[in-house]
Amino acid sequence: MNGAKRDSDRGIYRVVARREFVERFKDRGFRISTGITLTILVGFLVLSSLAGGRARYDLVVVGEDAVEVGTQLERGSATLAFDVTVQELDDEASAERALRDGDADAVLIGGDRIVVKSDGPADLLGAVQSVSERLRAHQVLEEAGVSPDQADEALDVAPLPVRALEPIDERRQQLAAVAFVGVLALYGQLFAYGYWVAAGVVEEKSSRVVEVLLSAIRPSQLLRGKILGIGLLGLCQLLLIGMIGFGTALGVGRLDFPGGALGAIGVVLLWFLFGYAFYASLFAVAGSIVSRQEDLQATMTPLSLVIIASFFLGIQAVGNPDSTLATVSSLMPWSAPLSMPSRIMLGQASIWFAFLSAVISVAATAALIPVATRVYANAVLRPGKVKLRDALARR
Amino acid sequence: MLDLIDLTRRFGDVVALDDVSFSVPGGEMVGFVGPNGAGKTTAMRIVLGVLQADSGEVRWRGKRVDAAVRRRFGYMPEERGLYPKMRVLDQLAYLGRLHGLDAGDARARSLRTIEILGVADRVNDRTETLSLGNQQRVQLAAALAHEPEVLVLDEPFSGLDPVGVDTLAGVLREQAAAGVPVVFSSHQLELVERLCESVVMINAGRIVAAGRISDLRASDARRLVRVEVAGQAPDWTRLAGVTVVERLASGAVLELSDGTVPNDVLDLARAAGEVRWFGVVQPSLPDIFRRVVTR
Repeated sequence: MNGAKRDSDRGIYRVVARREFVERFKDRGFRISTGITLTILVGFLVLSSLAGGRARYDLVVVGEDAVEVGTQLERGSATLAFDVTVQELDDEASAERALRDGDADAVLIGGDRIVVKSDGPADLLGAVQSVSERLRAHQVLEEAGVSPDQADEALDVAPLPVRALEPIDERRQQLAAVAFVGVLALYGQLFAYGYWVAAGVVEEKSSRVVEVLLSAIRPSQLLRGKILGIGLLGLCQLLLIGMIGFGTALGVGRLDFPGGALGAIGVVLLWFLFGYAFYASLFAVAGSIVSRQEDLQATMTPLSLVIIASFFLGIQAVGNPDSTLATVSSLMPWSAPLSMPSRIMLGQASIWFAFLSAVISVAATAALIPVATRVYANAVLRPGKVKLRDALARR
Repeated sequence: MLDLIDLTRRFGDVVALDDVSFSVPGGEMVGFVGPNGAGKTTAMRIVLGVLQADSGEVRWRGKRVDAAVRRRFGYMPEERGLYPKMRVLDQLAYLGRLHGLDAGDARARSLRTIEILGVADRVNDRTETLSLGNQQRVQLAAALAHEPEVLVLDEPFSGLDPVGVDTLAGVLREQAAAGVPVVFSSHQLELVERLCESVVMINAGRIVAAGRISDLRASDARRLVRVEVAGQAPDWTRLAGVTVVERLASGAVLELSDGTVPNDVLDLARAAGEVRWFGVVQPSLPDIFRRVVTR
């Protein structure tokens, strides 16, 4: 009577996962929000590359001595940390107007004073001061009978070398920035996709399609498929954002350590998986004990607080990756997804430690899923709000 | 044959099902009737595995039903449920796949079923944009599209217009004719009487009557008389041994005890005026139902 091919019901969760993935991918809201995220990311990287680099200043000079300072400043601009454009004006009044209009950052009047609007850029003023000092010293020496060559020699003293006890590590700084973005992305992604699991469960419950579904498949299959499908979408979205961000940063020349950044993306993706797997079944439970989307916020609150606390732990782990707090939080399965990646990126976690954290996450998730599945199965067909204790009980 | 054997289920202190047993033979349409809260939905949910029985079991073709067998059942829950935002065909194809069809089959059969049910022009619309009646057709299609071996429908006729009732009745007859055991619950007893050969009556979690409707009628030993008059109906209970079973607009169905003859009733009716209807009747399904649930 039934000629159609019947799949074995073992792989049925894949059919569920496929629906979760496809239906959400087709959702306009999802596409729009992904588009907005990508636009902000690319825009930020491009703009920061334009704004970044050397500062530019406009210096107005009035009078012969000032012109000489300007000329020397321009000549030596290669050794300066900024670009300077020198403009000569005839009188002090028009120079002041240029200052007020914002066309000039500083005005040098003759050899005797500098005028600024309110607070001139320190590095420009410092450079003007030192050139002017040198010129004036030269003049004094010549007046005292020293030959110009000798005066040059006397004034050509090398600046003192500076030795930093804790030198700034450019690579580390950039990695910390990447780690921060990573923590931010993980936090947003865990929250968004966890919420989707909960809202998806409530949708099935409130539309009561769940009874139709559970007449064909088991609650564990439905839950597994839902978590898998939504998680896969989250992973793909994160990968897309990571790859486009990486490509853009590379393209605009904002990335000095592409290898490290690529590794960082990999670490973020991996710990998204661990974190999502840990939290998803809990979000499903939060969804299964209510029947209306409006009630979801309340049952999600404990979960939200844990994720927010873990986020702050993650932020501090970027700042102090070797602290005891960071070490502990990178081992706890609820906070590890937000603390471990930055510690790995910043070179503060050995491979075995990262492995240990991963094993703890996987073990905790494996222990959690059967309990969560039981609560889900007990609660999802009951109307109204279900007490967690009732749902935990064996029917 | 679908067998429900000694099903018992409690919710806290409430006994929803108390040792419920009945069978639905292949090819037969069985009406499952009973007052609200009698246990119909609980029993159907247990058949579909949506709910577990505290004791007892469900068998199909003599074997205990497990998850794999249940996938080949078709079910329409009392509380209808579909994904509101999914498109009709996508939704049906998805449910078909959950019932074990492969992707191509699921789509083809869903399309065919939805055509039979007359909603073919809406296959690419979101389900929530359909009228309630059409959503109910889609719901029925969800129960039928995978060509189930067993059909269990909870109040399938409620909310349908007369045309919808006829369409659904036709579809169920075809299913039964193809050998599928069909069991459905309904409060519309006249409809059950028209469609089903057999009926199962449940009250307060217990089966109170079951079998062929004709047998139930025959075993109902009451002698019933239906009488209608043109004018004011007399007080029938003036006659000794007569009780009113059902009051009609211009008459009544009366039960006669031993020793009372129909002629006495007829005499009383003639005295009241023009007799429009007089006859000995068999008890209807509603009569039997009222009797067994108030017993």
